[in-house]
Amino acid sequence: MKRMLLAAIAAIVTLAIVLGPSQQPGPNAGQAYAQAAPAAVAPAGKPMPETSIVDQDAPYFEACAREGLNESECVGRLIWYKATGGNERFHTYTFQQRIGVLVDWFRVLRADHRDAPFWAWGLINDPSCCKPGDPDCPAKSPEETYGFDWCPGDDVLLKYVGKNGYVDPACGLKDAALDPDDPHSQGGKVDQRASPCDLRFGTSTGALGIRKFPNPRFDAAKWQALNGGKADWSGFNATKAAATGIESDSRVSKLADASVEPPFLIGTTCGSCHIAFDPLNPPADPAHPKWENIKGLIGNQYTRMSELLGSGMPKSALEYQMFAHARPGVTDTSAISHDQINNPGTINALFNVAQRPVFKGEKITKWRKVNTCGAEKDEGKCWCEPGANGKCWQMSTRDDDTTTVFLGGQKVALPGVHHILKGGEDSTGAHEAIQRVYFNIGSCAEQCWVNHFSDMRQVDPEQRGFGQTPFNVGQCRRDCPSFRAVEDRLQNILDFFASAESDQTDLAVARANEKKAKNPAATYTLADLGADLDKEFGKGAVSRGQAVFAENCARCHSSVPESTGGPFANRDFAAPNEAHPRKVRADFLSNEQSTPVTEVGTFRCRSLHSNHRAGHLYMEYASDSMRLRPPVADIPERPELKDGGRGYYRNISLVNVWATAPFMHNNAIGPEICGKPANKDNDFHRARYVGADGKLLASQPDCLRYDPTVDGRFELYKRSMHELLNPKERGVKRTLTNADLIVDLGVRKLDGKTEKPALSVGPFTDFMQLRIPAGSSAGFLNGLQHKLLVDDLFLAKRDPAHLEAAGKQALVPTLQKMADELLAKPVRFVEVMQANRDFLSAHYQTCTQEIENEGHRFGEDLSAADKKALTAFLATL
Amino acid sequence: MKRPIRPAAALSLAAALALAACSKPEPPAIGFAPYDKGYQTKMDLAQVDYKYPIPPAELAKITPDYLAKLDQEQLDQIYARLPAGPIPDGAFDGRILLPRGDSGKFRLAEVVGGFTGTLLHLKGLLVEDIGEALWRGKVFYRDERVLRNRIEDLSVLKKAGLVEGEPTKMQYGGKETWLLFPAKLYCGQSLLDARRESIVIDYFFTDEIPGYQESPDFLAGRRGFKVRDEIRMIRPGLYLGRAYLDRAFALNFVLHDKATDDRLREEFVKSGGKAQEDCWPGTQARTVAMAKP
Repeated sequence: MKRMLLAAIAAIVTLAIVLGPSQQPGPNAGQAYAQAAPAAVAPAGKPMPETSIVDQDAPYFEACAREGLNESECVGRLIWYKATGGNERFHTYTFQQRIGVLVDWFRVLRADHRDAPFWAWGLINDPSCCKPGDPDCPAKSPEETYGFDWCPGDDVLLKYVGKNGYVDPACGLKDAALDPDDPHSQGGKVDQRASPCDLRFGTSTGALGIRKFPNPRFDAAKWQALNGGKADWSGFNATKAAATGIESDSRVSKLADASVEPPFLIGTTCGSCHIAFDPLNPPADPAHPKWENIKGLIGNQYTRMSELLGSGMPKSALEYQMFAHARPGVTDTSAISHDQINNPGTINALFNVAQRPVFKGEKITKWRKVNTCGAEKDEGKCWCEPGANGKCWQMSTRDDDTTTVFLGGQKVALPGVHHILKGGEDSTGAHEAIQRVYFNIGSCAEQCWVNHFSDMRQVDPEQRGFGQTPFNVGQCRRDCPSFRAVEDRLQNILDFFASAESDQTDLAVARANEKKAKNPAATYTLADLGADLDKEFGKGAVSRGQAVFAENCARCHSSVPESTGGPFANRDFAAPNEAHPRKVRADFLSNEQSTPVTEVGTFRCRSLHSNHRAGHLYMEYASDSMRLRPPVADIPERPELKDGGRGYYRNISLVNVWATAPFMHNNAIGPEICGKPANKDNDFHRARYVGADGKLLASQPDCLRYDPTVDGRFELYKRSMHELLNPKERGVKRTLTNADLIVDLGVRKLDGKTEKPALSVGPFTDFMQLRIPAGSSAGFLNGLQHKLLVDDLFLAKRDPAHLEAAGKQALVPTLQKMADELLAKPVRFVEVMQANRDFLSAHYQTCTQEIENEGHRFGEDLSAADKKALTAFLATL
Repeated sequence: MKRPIRPAAALSLAAALALAACSKPEPPAIGFAPYDKGYQTKMDLAQVDYKYPIPPAELAKITPDYLAKLDQEQLDQIYARLPAGPIPDGAFDGRILLPRGDSGKFRLAEVVGGFTGTLLHLKGLLVEDIGEALWRGKVFYRDERVLRNRIEDLSVLKKAGLVEGEPTKMQYGGKETWLLFPAKLYCGQSLLDARRESIVIDYFFTDEIPGYQESPDFLAGRRGFKVRDEIRMIRPGLYLGRAYLDRAFALNFVLHDKATDDRLREEFVKSGGKAQEDCWPGTQARTVAMAKP
C-alpha cells in the first residue's frame, strides 16, 4: 500500500520524541568544517594526501555551513559532488576501447574556451578553478596544466602526471560519526568502513562533476611529439585525414589510438548530471557562477551528457547518431548499458526528498546487512568481508523494508521503499538506488558490469555477449573496492538527499531574493506572488487554479490521498509539514504510483526500458513486486517487449514545476531549449518539428536559449504549460539523424589518395561504404534488433524450419527475399532496409513510437481561463 | 587369415606404445564452470576466476595442442583466468585456434558474422588459408611497443595482387621470413573480460609504424580487416590470444616462445605463478583465489 509522508513522518517523529532516547541535533558540521583545517589526522599506515596551496574542500564546507548541513549530510554532499567511485578508467579507457565511443575531453574542458562549456555542453564551471595565465591563477601558462583549468589541488596533482605515488584527496576524507544502529558498526564502536581513498576524488577539471587524475603512464616526450606542445591536444584529437589526405580518414580520430596515454584520466561524479543552478539564487553569468549559485540535487536541465560522451565521434558515426540526440537535461542512462530501446529521460529533480512517498510491503530480493552469517557457508547467500569483524551481508527476500532518513538529527524510518526511476525501477531501497547511480557513471565498470553487456557485434547466440546478463551485487562488493567505499557511506548521501539542499525552491522566495539583491529591505511574500499571478493570469486565477488542480490533477499529483487527507477540494496543497525540521511542503505533489503508459499517452519507449528485467543487467535493482506488475495490454509492441513489469510511468512530482520546464520524462513538451554557443561546431541543437509526412518542417520554431534566471525559468514554464494544456499547439516532434550516417566497410586499397575496393569481385564490387541519409529516424536506428534480424535472415536461408518452429513462419518469405537481395548486392543494404521498413518495424523494433511530444492530454478540455488559472496555481507550489 | 603376433614383435609394439605414452605430455587438470549452449548459461567470468582458479602447476602443463581441442567457452574461461603478464619481447611461434560451430565449419561464417566476416571468404582469402598457410607467428619489439607478424609464404597474397615490392625479411629458426602487418603494442581493454587489462596488438593505425608497406600491410589496418588482437599470459613464453575484426570476435590463437618457456617454466611454478605485470591487474583478488583448493 502506498504511504503518505506527512502522516508517516509526523507519527514516527512524534513517537521517537516521546519514546525514544533523547538525541539532540548534532553541531552544525558545516560551520565546524569551515573553521577547521581540512586534513584529518592520518591513522598510522593510512595514506594521506599532500596539502595543496588551495584547499579544494573549503567551498564545500562553506556551503554546508551556509545551508546548515550536519556532519553526515556534509560528508554525503562532498561525496556526491566529488566522488567518481574509481570511474576514471572507464571514462578514459573502457568506454572508448570496449564500447567504442570516443570522448574528446580536451574539446569539452579546454581552459581557453572557459566561457563556452555551459552554452555548449550545459556544464557548470567550477568557481574555484581558473584559467592559466589569468591574474591570481597559480598556473601561469596552459603548458603547466596540459591546457586545462587550474583547480585547487593541482599543485600536487600535476607533479604526479607520468608518475606513480599520487595519494588521492579522498584519502583525507573525515568521515561522519558511525551510526550505532548499523549492524557493521558494533553499536557505533568499531569503524569498519572501507578506505575512503577508493571514493576517488582527484581534482576538478574546471567543470563541476568532472574530475581528473594524474596518468602514471603518461609519457611527456611522446605527448609533445604528438601535439607539438603541452598546452593543447591538437594532435590527439585531430582526424587522420589531416595527415593522410584520405577521405575516409576524415572520420577517423586519433583519439581512437589507445596506445596514446593522455596526461589525465577523467572521471565523473554523480554531480556531473545532478549539480545545477539554484533557482532561488541563479548566477548573474551562467558561464561564471559562484558557489552560492549551485545546488547538487535539482538536476542539470541543460546538460548534454550524450553529446559530451560522444564528443570524439564524427556526426556521421553510427554510435553518435544512435545516442547523441537527447534533449538538454535528458540523458539515456541505458545508452551505455544498451538495451536497444530509445529511451532518454530527464535527470530526476530531487526536491523535498523526505516527503517523497514510499511503498510498503514490496517484495524485494537483495543483500541486507547482518553482523554474522552464522552457519551459512554459501557465499551466494551470505558473505562476510575478509579481515573485518562481523561485516556481513545476507541475501534474502523480504517485504518489510523501511527507509531510514535523519531529519534534524532525528532518525526516521519511512515505512517502505521508494520507486526511483521513470518507470518505478530502482525500487529495492534508497541506498541501493544511490549505489546504482555510481554504476550509471561508470564506477566498478570493469570489475562488475561491463562483462554483462550485450556486445553489439556479437550475433552468435551461443557466445558470451550476445545478450545482457545480470551483474551480481555480491560479486561486485567482493571485487570492487570503490563499491565498498561508496556502500559504507550511502547513509551519508541519503542524509544529504534529505537535507536542506533538496528543500523546495519556491517562486515567491526566488522573487524575494531577487528584490533583496537589489534592495536589502525589499520584501516579497507568497501573497505578493499570488497577487502578481492574478494580475498576469486573471483575477482570482490562483484560487480558481487550486480548484481546477483539485478536480483534475490531484488524483495523481498529490501524495496525500483523500482517504487520509480529506477531499482534495478542501485541501491546502501548500501546507507545511509541521513535523519536518524545516517545515517543507507536506504534499509531495505526486502519489508516485505507476500509471500505464497508454493512460498517460506520453512517449512510451522509456516505459519499455528493459535493464531491470529478470536476466538483464540491473535485475538486482528492481523489486520482485515491480516485475510482477501486470502487462499493459494495449501497448502495441510485441508481448516479449512489454513484459516484466514494464509499460508504466511513475507519476512525477510537481514541486517547483515552475523551475523545471520543459515537461515530461523526455523534456519534449514545451519549447526546445538550446545554448547557441559561439562555436558553431559545439552547437548541438537539432530541428525536431516535423510535418504530416514525418519530415522536418522547412521553418522551425526558434529554440529558447538557456536561461536559469527566475524570469527565464518562469517564461519557459508558462510556455510549456501552454503546450501541455493545448496539445494541438505543440507541433509534432520527432528525432531524426542530423548527418549522413557513414560506415566505411570492406577492404579498401589506396590508389594515390583514393580508395578502391581491394576485393572487387562478385556482389561486393564497389562495396566500400554504407550510407544512411540524414533525416532517418534516430529511434528506428536505436531500436532495431539487428542481432535478431541477422540471425533470422541466416535461418531463413539455411534452416527455415527452425524459424517456423519458433512461430515465425509468416516472416520466412520476406526474410528470404531480403537475404537474397542482400547476398546478391550487398551495396543495396540501405535500400533493402528502407523497402522493408514496415516489416522491420513490426517484427524487429523494440519500440515503434517516434513522435515524442504526444500524450498527457489531461486538461485539454478546460476553458482558456481555467488553463490560465491552473498555470498560475502551480507556479505557487 | 590373420597372422599371430610373435612375442618379440608384441614386445616391441608394447615398448613403442609405452614410449609414446611417456613422451605424451600430461594434460593439465583444469576445471571449467558448467555451461550450455545459450549465452545466458555461461558463468560470470569473475565467478569462474573465483571458483575455478588454475594452479600454476596446471598452467605449466598447457600446450598449444591442448588448447586446440577446447571449445570456445573453454577457451574463454581459460583466458579470463589469466593475467596479462609482461609485454613480450622477441619472436613467438603462432598457431590459430578456430572456434568451430556445430557443423564443423568456421563459426563466424556459420552465424553470418557481419560484413567483414563475409568478406573473409572472398577470393580464396579464407582465414584458415591465411592463418595456417601464411602466418607463422609474431615478433614483439617490446621497447618500441611495436609488433610485426612473421609470414613465410606470400604467394596467396601476391596472387590476389595484394603485395607490392619486396617486404623486409628476417632470419628466424634458420629460415627467412617476412615481417609484415606491423601493429601497436600496449596495455588495453580486453573485449571479452574487462576485469583486468590485456596486452593489445592494434593494427588500426598500422600506417604510422616505421616499415609499414601499404600492400599488403593495409589488409590488417583500418582500410582492411581492422584487426585487433589481445593476449594474456598462460606462463612466461606462452600466451593465449583473441583476434577481432572490426571489434567482432573472429578467432583464438596461441603464441609460444619455446626457449623462454623452457627457461622459466619451472621457476614460474615454484614461485606460485608470479610473473611481471605490465598492465592493470584489476582489483579482483586473484592471488587469494589461486590459493583456494
